Amino acid sequence: MKRVVSVSLGSSKRDHKVYADFLGEKFEISRMGTDGNFDRALELLQDLDGKVDAIGLGGIDVYLFVKNKRYAIKDGLRLMEAVQVTPIVDGSGLKNTLEREVVRVLADETGHLKKGTKVLMVSSVDRFGMAEALTEMGCDVTFGDLIFTAGIPYPIKTVEELEELAGRILPEISQMPFHMIYPTGKKQETQDEDKVKKFARYYHDAEVIGGDFHLIRRFMPDQMNRQIILTNTTTLDDIEFLRKKGVALLVTTTPEYEGRSFGTNVMEAVLVSIIGKPWNDITSKDYLDLLLQLNFRPRILDLKA
Amino acid sequence: MATHEEITESLKVFTDNYNKSERLKIMNRDWDRVVEVKATDVESEHTMILKDGVVSLKKGVVENPDLTVISDSETLADIFYGDITPTEPYNNGTLRIMGSEDDIIRLDFISLLIWGE
Repeated sequence: MKRVVSVSLGSSKRDHKVYADFLGEKFEISRMGTDGNFDRALELLQDLDGKVDAIGLGGIDVYLFVKNKRYAIKDGLRLMEAVQVTPIVDGSGLKNTLEREVVRVLADETGHLKKGTKVLMVSSVDRFGMAEALTEMGCDVTFGDLIFTAGIPYPIKTVEELEELAGRILPEISQMPFHMIYPTGKKQETQDEDKVKKFARYYHDAEVIGGDFHLIRRFMPDQMNRQIILTNTTTLDDIEFLRKKGVALLVTTTPEYEGRSFGTNVMEAVLVSIIGKPWNDITSKDYLDLLLQLNFRPRILDLKA
Repeated sequence: MATHEEITESLKVFTDNYNKSERLKIMNRDWDRVVEVKATDVESEHTMILKDGVVSLKKGVVENPDLTVISDSETLADIFYGDITPTEPYNNGTLRIMGSEDDIIRLDFISLLIWGE
C-alpha cells in the first residue's frame, strides 16, 4: 500500500484518513493540520521524509503562476526544502492542469458556465489556470485578489491588468510571512466580519464564485442568492455552511472520498507517486493522461435539495 | 545617515508619485488614514494624511495616528525614494510599523504599486 500524507498549516480539526484505490493500487491518504504552527509543520515534514511515498503541502502555496511567470513564496519554499527524499508537492502543478479541465467540463457538459457568466475569483494568482480558463471561455470575471488579500476595493477585470499588478506586487509580497496574506490555523474557522460586510456586494453580484475555499468561506456574506461555488477541499461542515448561506451548487475540482474532497496538494501527491517521475520532469500532459485514466470528474453537489 | 531634509524630500517624491496615479486614488477612496513617519536616529517626524483617495504630507506628528512607521533615517529615505521595498527591512526588524495588520498590508501594497517593477 502506498502512503500519501498532506501536512497542512490549516486547522487540525480537518484531519482525516481514508483508503482509496487508484489503477488497482491501494492508497492510505491522510491529512495532518498544524493549526498555523510553522515549526510544527517543519518537524512533521522532516519526520515523514523518506517514510512515505509522497507528501502534499497544504494550507500554504509554494508557487504562484501568472501567465508564464512563477513566483515562489518564501515560507512555502522553506517547508518544501525541509524534505530531501520523498517527493513533495503543493498542488500548483495539478491546479494548472485539472482546474482548466474542470472549467471546460462545466462549460461543455453542464451548461453551468457560459459566455457572460459573472464570476468572482476571490483570489486568482493561486489558481491562475482556472482564472485564465474562465476568461478564455468568455465569462465576465472579477479577479478579487486586491479586494480580499489587501482590503483594496478594486476589482481587476482583465488578465492583462492582473499580470501587470502581479508583476509589481508578488515578488515582494511572496517574501512576507505567509500568515499576513492568507488565513492560516484558527483564522480558517472564522469569518472576517468587517470584510464580509464591506465586500458582500462582490459575492452577491456574482453567479459563480471560484477559488480557494478558505478564502471563499472567510468572506462569504449571508443571503447568497443561489450562486455556484467552484472550489475544492470541502468537508461535510463546509457543505452545511454553504447550504445555510444560500448557495445553490457546489462544484469541487477534486473527487469525493468519504464525504470530502481533498486539496489539490493531496491529489497531486497521489498522482506524482503513481507517475513515478521527479516533480520537475512531470508535464501537464502526464497529469492529463493520468486524470483521464483515473476518470477524474468534478463533483457537482446540489445544495438546494 | 539621512538628514531630516532628505526624509522630507523622499516623502514628497512618494506622495507626488502616489497622487499622480489615478488608479491608486480610485483604489483608496475608502481608506482615510493618518500615517506617522518617525526616524530613530535624527529628529524627523512627518505625517501623511490619506483622505478621499488623495495623500497629503505635513511635518510633525498628530495625536492617534492609524499607522506609525519607524526606522532609521537611511532606511526611511530609501523606502520612500523607492530605492528599496519595505519587505526586507520589515522582515528583519529594521522597519517597524504599528497599526492593524490589515492596514499594514494595505500600506505595503500601496508602496509596491507605486514602486514595484
